[in-house]
Amino acid sequence: MSEIETTKEQQQYVSLKYFGIPKLGPYVKPLKGIIISMACLCLVAGLIDTLHPLFQQYALNHFVELSTLDTLVPFILIYLGILILQTIVNMISASQAGKIEMDVSRDMRRASFNHLQTLSFSYFNQNSVGYIHSRVMSDTGRIGGLVSWSLMDSVWNLTYMIGAIAVMLIINWKMALMVLVIVPLAALASVYFQKHLITLNRQVREINSQISSGFNEGITGAKTTKTLVAEDRMEEDFNKTSRKMFKTATRTSHFRAMFISTITFTSYIALALVLWRGGRITLQGLMELGTLAAFSNYALNLMEPIRWIVRAISDLITVQVNIERFTRLMETESDVADSPEIIEKYGDAFHPKKENWEPLFGDVEFKDVSFMYPDGDEYVLEHFNLKVPQGTNVAIVGETGAGKSTLVNLVCRFFEPTSGQILIDGRDARERSQLWLHSNIGYVLQTPHLFSGTVKENLLYGKPDATMEQIEAAVKAVSADAVIERMDKGYDSDVGEGGDLLSTGEKQLLSFARAILADPRIFVLDEATSSIDTVTEKLIQDAIEHLMKGRTSFVIAHRLSTIRQADVILVVKDGKIIEQGRHKDLMRMKGYYYNLYTRQYAEETTRSLS
Amino acid sequence: MKTNQPLFTKTSLVAHFLQGCKRFFILSILMSFLNTLMEMLIPQVIRRFVDSVIGDDPLNLPAFAEAWLARLAAPSSSQVYLRGHMYLVAILIGILALLVAFAFYGTHQSNAIAAEKLHKNIREELFAHIQKLPFAWHMKNKTGDIIQRCTSDAERVRIFIAEQMVSVVRIVIMMGLSLYFMFSMDWRLSLVAACAIPVIVGYSAFFHAKIGGSFEKCDENEGILSTIAQENLTGVRVVRAFGREEFERKRFEKQNVYYTGLWISLMKLMAVFWGIGDFISGLQVLLILVLGSVFCVRGTLSAGEFIAFLSYNMMLIWPVRQLGRVISEMSKAGVSLDRIMYIMNSPVEKDRDNAVSREETDKALKGDIVFENVNFGYEPDIPIVSDINLTIPAGSTFGILGSTGSGKSTLMHLLNRLYELPEENGKITIGGVDIADMKAEDLRRNIGMVLQEPFLFSRTISENISITNRNMTMEEIRKAAKIACVDEAIKEFKNGYDTVVGERGVTLSGGQKQRTAIARMLTSRAPVMVFDDSLSAVDAETDARIRHALSESLGDSTVILISHRITTLMQADQIMVLDKGRIVEMGTPDELLEKNGIYKKIYDMQLSLSEDETA
Repeated sequence: MSEIETTKEQQQYVSLKYFGIPKLGPYVKPLKGIIISMACLCLVAGLIDTLHPLFQQYALNHFVELSTLDTLVPFILIYLGILILQTIVNMISASQAGKIEMDVSRDMRRASFNHLQTLSFSYFNQNSVGYIHSRVMSDTGRIGGLVSWSLMDSVWNLTYMIGAIAVMLIINWKMALMVLVIVPLAALASVYFQKHLITLNRQVREINSQISSGFNEGITGAKTTKTLVAEDRMEEDFNKTSRKMFKTATRTSHFRAMFISTITFTSYIALALVLWRGGRITLQGLMELGTLAAFSNYALNLMEPIRWIVRAISDLITVQVNIERFTRLMETESDVADSPEIIEKYGDAFHPKKENWEPLFGDVEFKDVSFMYPDGDEYVLEHFNLKVPQGTNVAIVGETGAGKSTLVNLVCRFFEPTSGQILIDGRDARERSQLWLHSNIGYVLQTPHLFSGTVKENLLYGKPDATMEQIEAAVKAVSADAVIERMDKGYDSDVGEGGDLLSTGEKQLLSFARAILADPRIFVLDEATSSIDTVTEKLIQDAIEHLMKGRTSFVIAHRLSTIRQADVILVVKDGKIIEQGRHKDLMRMKGYYYNLYTRQYAEETTRSLS
Repeated sequence: MKTNQPLFTKTSLVAHFLQGCKRFFILSILMSFLNTLMEMLIPQVIRRFVDSVIGDDPLNLPAFAEAWLARLAAPSSSQVYLRGHMYLVAILIGILALLVAFAFYGTHQSNAIAAEKLHKNIREELFAHIQKLPFAWHMKNKTGDIIQRCTSDAERVRIFIAEQMVSVVRIVIMMGLSLYFMFSMDWRLSLVAACAIPVIVGYSAFFHAKIGGSFEKCDENEGILSTIAQENLTGVRVVRAFGREEFERKRFEKQNVYYTGLWISLMKLMAVFWGIGDFISGLQVLLILVLGSVFCVRGTLSAGEFIAFLSYNMMLIWPVRQLGRVISEMSKAGVSLDRIMYIMNSPVEKDRDNAVSREETDKALKGDIVFENVNFGYEPDIPIVSDINLTIPAGSTFGILGSTGSGKSTLMHLLNRLYELPEENGKITIGGVDIADMKAEDLRRNIGMVLQEPFLFSRTISENISITNRNMTMEEIRKAAKIACVDEAIKEFKNGYDTVVGERGVTLSGGQKQRTAIARMLTSRAPVMVFDDSLSAVDAETDARIRHALSESLGDSTVILISHRITTLMQADQIMVLDKGRIVEMGTPDELLEKNGIYKKIYDMQLSLSEDETA
């Protein structure tokens, strides 16, 4: 496990040119005006902060020392004026920062989401949903925070520091220089502590995710743990991670507390120095008391901004990872892309030009196709030829994980052949747009996916303009009407997140109905009835036979008994097609299919007998 | 824990979690007091410095300091001496600063230790409790929900106790001490300063109560946006296959813009809130400045006191501004505590009070397994198994044949008490001892069970195999792996037995998983072994090899084989055919063949299918 951690850690150190800021151009540039305005306002706010001690100075030097209240009214008015200005500046700059943060992250979310809609499946196969999701939802937020709040903090505090130093230099440059000697010390200490904090915060996050997966394992693995009586072992191991968390977290707080303590200490040392030297000068009458007080005030508050600036810098460093990951996503190019000419004619994913689309009939031909997955190093198809005339029923069989989906992925153009061609209606699939092809395909998956919303909304997904009659007909065709009747609100029932409120079988039925409603020319059924009970499956089988007439279909079968009637059966093993033919031919060959079939058939029979 | 489990109330649960943390919290608060006090002494030093060292007022120090200074200063007066040795004041401030820094560190570090200990307690208690909860509880509750309770809710409780409650205490200390010093100098000015407290706290509490809902609304809408993205990514195949990219883009865009707008308007509100907060405190400072000047001019306040007063005022205003926010956020913790309490108050697995000893159980497990009139269903009215009567002689191999849902696995769940058989629903005995009288732990340790869909823990393969015994040698591990025919496959991995599997590592195929699970079970050398369709993902050849290797190493163990494969079942001494939860056939393989029932049909199909089908 430790190995994984170190590689993860190493991956987190990235070096981008100019801290990756140029990469953010497209998202930051439209907000140039407001960002500059915010920075200017922060400048003003920082300057106003530097003015405050001067009021105290005036009160002491004028009112107290001279024992007069003659200028009290203008004093109050000026103070109020500045206060109102400050209030307005603070309000505007803070709401501008909020807007910048949200606008930048909104635009980045939009860009990444839209880009993801065009990426090919190899990207989704190589990156987990959780990983991609974080790019869209959390990287964008952190980058937004950097260009708003971190920028605000640094401008504000830097202005205050420069302003304070300037005023101090004007009042008494010798004393100011003395105080300034401490600043680099405080800065060095800050950098030292913050460096540790960056690393430690990373570790804390990493251990935190280990704890979450510890809980996950403790809960999902409960049955196994109990069976093995491994509760104590699991608890011990979990507690080990838990203790590591305790250690790392307290170590982190140690550095943070040391950091702040150091800043506080140096601040007071600055104050002490001012009182020591300044006291003498004041005693000698070379400096007024109010001026000494103001000077002390500046000295005391000079170190705190360093902490904020260092923190903003560390934000910049930590966000590098997010910028890098985000840019990598945006720079990933789709393996499957339509050429500019095709887009010109048929439109892209977001702007289809349906008026130019030809009808699709459903002839599919593999012509000398060789294929290797982009992340693989072995051909899974070599010089493969297969003609699938319109209306043919192709079945694909093989063990779980044998690579049955490869052919389907190629037909759907989710992947493209490494060499060779796939012809749709006699023309290379690449001569038409992806959307054209996809709009004519009905795809039903083993792990059916529904979207949050009602049953009806889900059914309409493939054909938004379908009438109620059409919906009902599709639902009837797959015998899903019983399922919908059972729900309390019928077609308007909520299906839950990802269809969570339904069983897998029910989801399969609905996604089946959804595909039928879309009235596609090519059907792809990927173990589409594996979780449906035998009786319903039989009903569907009959319906399908009727529905499939004239349509080309590719069926990945789970129960082999369901595909005996197929026009051609492709047998896949270890990612390669090893046998091909009708059921009878394959049985006669007594090869792999024969074995697979006899074994499965036996199990099937046991099931159907009971 | 074995007997009656006491139920927690909110207070007792918090007290339970606080074990071992309290002293750190107390230390933290003491340190915080010291920190604040030292910080507040510094303005006092400045005040005397201004009034008596630079000015001419009498020093007015505490008696011991006066005496010490007089001795140091002799023969001149203390005042004159200090004027010549101003560095002494600087040193004094330096010392105080050191104490401030030290106490600050102490405050934060002891608080961090307390907070982390508390968090550690919460998560370890939760984890341990969840491990002990019955399997039925696990089936009933959603994993995601439980994890949420264990992580975010636990975090919120930690924040409530270790951050919010502590900061209230700290704020009260700061307010109390600064008011004390202010009143000790000028009560009228202090009264004016204090008047701002209710205004600022009230303003901020009112505001936070008002917009608390807006924060929740933002969170909610972020959730919706996040779900849209999540569903789009998990459903990417559906999106593409239906060509609905444009629809998805619009859906995301709408929520993205809406959510962003919500936040921006909330930020604007917050900016106004901060601004007005700044304004109110600015006015208060102005009031003190003006009144202080007036008092100074009238002579009731000295310049040093004025300077010190202004410092205290700043120390007062800052915590007051925090207070309103903290109070309004504290109310959220109650719900989280309830959600954690739900887990902690769920009853754990229980053994009978008079459970038999471990030795007796170990001995009994070498005997016959007997099911007597067993009836069981997970839901009260839906029986899964009915009228099960059977005897599995010690050391024999017992086969079970039946379709999915016929109740095979349920019988095994009852056998190792993953589900408890209610007393009125029959009895299961092993070696004459009712399994309900044994300790669940002792019973399970003696029953090695391999599940159809085995779960491997996300650690190395060797750790997985040796999970029940940390001290297992590499030879033992490899021996088990060899019997399970998985040794070769493991060696093919780059890291061999040190390959990490599961969530964080490589994914094994179904067959590799099953075989690894068999190896894991074999290491326990249990007298009863159950194979619950555990070779379904292994091809027939390997199946035969494993069975051969197994039969050599099983020795005198009692073996229960659940399988669809006749060839596997054929070597059993006895076979039971289960249908819809009832025993329909039972006997030796030969007897069953003669009976001409289900077993015979399947036997014929599997072994003579070739002629039927190819004809």
